[in-house]
Amino acid sequence: MQTFVSAGAPDKGSANINSHPETQVPPELSVWLVRVADARDKQAFTRLFQFFAPKIKRFGIKQLGNEAQAHELVQETMSNVWRKAHLYDGDKGAATTWVYTVMRNAAFDMLRRVKAKAEMNLGDDIWPIEQVQSEEALPEFADHLMEKQMLAYVDSLPEAQRAVVKGVYYQELSQEQLAQQFGVPIGTIKSRLRLALAKLKQQMGDQQHD
Amino acid sequence: MINHHPTSDVLAQFVAGNLPASVSVLVSSHVELCAECARSVQRLTQQAAIDAFGELADETAGDELLVTDMTSELAGEFEFELEDFDECIAAITAEEADDKRQLPQTVTEIAVGGERIALPTALRSIPLKEWQGMGKLSRSRLALDDGDLRMSLLHIDKGGSVPCHTHKGFEITLLLQGSFTDEMGEYRKGDFIWLDGQHTHQPVTEEGCVCLTVSSDAIHFTQGMSQLLNPIGRFIY
Ligand SMILES: [Zn+2]
Repeated sequence: MQTFVSAGAPDKGSANINSHPETQVPPELSVWLVRVADARDKQAFTRLFQFFAPKIKRFGIKQLGNEAQAHELVQETMSNVWRKAHLYDGDKGAATTWVYTVMRNAAFDMLRRVKAKAEMNLGDDIWPIEQVQSEEALPEFADHLMEKQMLAYVDSLPEAQRAVVKGVYYQELSQEQLAQQFGVPIGTIKSRLRLALAKLKQQMGDQQHD
Repeated sequence: MINHHPTSDVLAQFVAGNLPASVSVLVSSHVELCAECARSVQRLTQQAAIDAFGELADETAGDELLVTDMTSELAGEFEFELEDFDECIAAITAEEADDKRQLPQTVTEIAVGGERIALPTALRSIPLKEWQGMGKLSRSRLALDDGDLRMSLLHIDKGGSVPCHTHKGFEITLLLQGSFTDEMGEYRKGDFIWLDGQHTHQPVTEEGCVCLTVSSDAIHFTQGMSQLLNPIGRFIY
């Protein structure tokens, strides 16, 4: 998809959004970002796109060295802005700083994909983009009562078993990863999990007969 | 108290996204532990954002008026056509928001020497390979493709040491837990130590330590019997 007029292409006339280039950042950027996060406001996003896209492309050409990739960077960055705007916190810094982070991270991962043929995205791990404090790192259950009850059962397990259950069911780690984390053979993880599940089953069964 | 930090030049390159992945991971891990460098990185990021989006910082022109001229010139090169613009926006806004909270895809802490040690956030997608031990040393490589650079977690048990060695390339160490000393001083949790071929050192640890290391080449032992260990230089880094 060729969305941009390439450098040196014949002038197609007046359809040039950036004919009045901003030398100053519009003060509304932060408001627009929050509107995208809270209301999925497409108009606010359009404004953001108009402001940022040409500048991201310029950065992309410098960083990635060619037009096609710079174009991809615009799409990748703006798509991340649209999808992750809720991670931006206006109290923690300027909108431009946050978008820079999103853009640099995307460029970093793109460059690694090209150079190292590396598929693993590391940018957001190296330079975190979440400024909003997440209250709880564990995923929530839809049913809070059930969650509470489940957690109470899990918490009643001996510590070693509890850690394995939480690792497998909350953090979604593999048994190999847990073996590594606890520094024990994988067989130990398997038997702890088996014991823990048997105990949980028994407790929940008891509960149902009440 | 952290005494050893990345240089301001390293921090600036880090913010620009110009460092290799493994080095970036190490700098990020230090920044997570070091309030001082976290502030520097924040400042540098603000500046980089201004350079990219704000008043155009131009390298060739110091004059304000010239800067404005350059801006319109540059903007001319990056024209957008209105309708294509719309197409791109429409495609993006058709996407859902990412509500999924980011869960670590790998281990977040490790158990070494009976202690549990939290791993840096920057490592959360990078798998650890199996621990391998030799005497009081054990190490686990991180499965990260990064050219010639190798990243490892290194554990030196209480009273252990690495025989006197030099680095053919460079070696960066981030101390995650415990402490060690060498000819140049004492290092504690959070210290970021960048050594190159000019340095020769012999780290010794009384209480034991866990480090995250990035190395560009095998280390080279320099003294007496320990030279027999050169084949294991590859083992350690
Ligand atoms: Zn520091």
